[in-house]
Amino acid sequence: MSEEVERFLLQEARLLDERRFSAWLELFADDGVYWLPTRPDQTSPHEALSLIYEPRALLAVRVARLERPDMHVQSPPSRTVHHVSAIEVDGDGADITARSALIVSEWRAGESRWFAARVLHRLRRTPPGLRIALKRVDLADSEAPHRAIAVPF
Amino acid sequence: MLQDANPLDATRLVRGERVHRAAYVDPHVFALEEERIFRRVWLYVAHESEVPAAGDYVLTRLGPEEVILARQENGTLSLLHNRCAHRGARIVAEPRGNLRQLRCPYHAWTYRLDGSLLGVPLAESYASVAELPGLARVPRVASYRGFVFGSHAASGPGLAEFLGGLASAFDNLVDRAPAGTVSRFGGALRLEYRGNWKMFMENAVDLVHPGSVHKSSVEAARAHPETLTADAITQQGAQMFLANGMKAAQWNEVELHTLAGGHVYMGGFYRQGVIAPERHDPVFERYRQVLIARHGAQKAAAVLAVDRFNNLVWPTLSINARFGAMRIVRPLAVDRTVVEVQCFRLDGAPQEMHELTLQFVNLAASPASLVASDDLEIFERCQRGLASRGEEWIDMRRGVLAGERRGDAAAVAPGTSELPVRHQYAAWQRWMSA
Repeated sequence: MSEEVERFLLQEARLLDERRFSAWLELFADDGVYWLPTRPDQTSPHEALSLIYEPRALLAVRVARLERPDMHVQSPPSRTVHHVSAIEVDGDGADITARSALIVSEWRAGESRWFAARVLHRLRRTPPGLRIALKRVDLADSEAPHRAIAVPF
Repeated sequence: MLQDANPLDATRLVRGERVHRAAYVDPHVFALEEERIFRRVWLYVAHESEVPAAGDYVLTRLGPEEVILARQENGTLSLLHNRCAHRGARIVAEPRGNLRQLRCPYHAWTYRLDGSLLGVPLAESYASVAELPGLARVPRVASYRGFVFGSHAASGPGLAEFLGGLASAFDNLVDRAPAGTVSRFGGALRLEYRGNWKMFMENAVDLVHPGSVHKSSVEAARAHPETLTADAITQQGAQMFLANGMKAAQWNEVELHTLAGGHVYMGGFYRQGVIAPERHDPVFERYRQVLIARHGAQKAAAVLAVDRFNNLVWPTLSINARFGAMRIVRPLAVDRTVVEVQCFRLDGAPQEMHELTLQFVNLAASPASLVASDDLEIFERCQRGLASRGEEWIDMRRGVLAGERRGDAAAVAPGTSELPVRHQYAAWQRWMSA
């Protein structure tokens, strides 16, 4: 199971780097949520602000926008490398938790920047394969001022 | 950058409906803004609910300088520079907490919460300890309905006079709370852009930019109509994205109100089919009932009917009473700005209202927002474009009227006018001129 989950996380990272955002969205369960809290100890999106808290229906709007040519903050587009490591898998087969470390390097419009995060995936086994029920990305500098963030982590 | 401008005469940077690019790119102009604007006006520092008990403090900023806002034993507030009177070390490093005294980590000088010196080690080695200084105090600190402001200037207009007609924005926010008070909650979002601080304040009342800048989020939301019948968070977000898709004629139904002092607000913003003027879901009805219990039906209806979007307190504050949100613009350098976004809970309102406030702010104002991220991109493009000396002047004449009233007069203009920018510059010119 561990190997299967590892493959899933690496494939997810590659979809983002290849800018195949619609395929990335398909990895989310219908009730899946993509979440970037502002606080490392945040237990709920309802207790504090979040950089992103999007049920799949809103995430679909984010993805639709990423595919438009008039998204100014992606003109020119970013080139990213999502580096996933330190994967730890837990679960009973149907509901799986995966914890990982993530480094993202992003190059855009003449500038490079870096993000570091701990990532939590809650995965669900479905007939077509593993699906994301929750992806929580805790940026090391979640409370810091950030310039525009466009490519998902 | 501005030739023969020593001492710099900022009044020459605004000519009619044009402003010189130096106002956005020249570090000398920024230094003068710091002296003449940020060290003289009232700037927002924190909300009283952040320091409810004696000894509570928060670190905040007054212009570029870090200050400590503390609640003293007698209940009053003190606003102190975070700089030891001895060798200048930053005394407090944790963003908030509760302290009985302030103690410098370097040589352990200690201070009372009013800034006065409590003790120094080796007191016997000083000729007179009584002559040693305490912490530097910010000369003026004042509160308006729980919102605390400070001023580096010992004299000048009082806070109420400075806020003028825009005090009504704070009134409306507090009046929306069934318990009669609001409380800061939810932490903060912080956005940064490599651009001048004025761009944010100008853009916040520019209703022509959404059609171009936000087109990608409007069209992406239009491609997903199912969002309008999804959960409350998604519906609210989709409505907000779609509102930027209004046509010029619709934007012109929005009224841009300018008030004495450089302040601006947008009225008539919410309408059926875009962002509904009022909600009618069960949570909101529960809220309406508790608000009526406080104010009576007539006043409650009047409070809820206030349909303003951004209320801009010149120079650097933006309030949205309906969504309980505040944005504080912090100029760091001529080409570097941080915007901090904060939320307020309407005390006595149902918890679900606060959840929607958080989610609205996430979607509208986060650096990862589908809307705000394109604004940040445009500010950075303006800053890069303004490095060009091919043209020295910037145009702001859209919708100009003969005999237009600016600066210290109240006026109203249709939504697509650039009057708010001209009005902000009239205030800027006045403060910068002497």
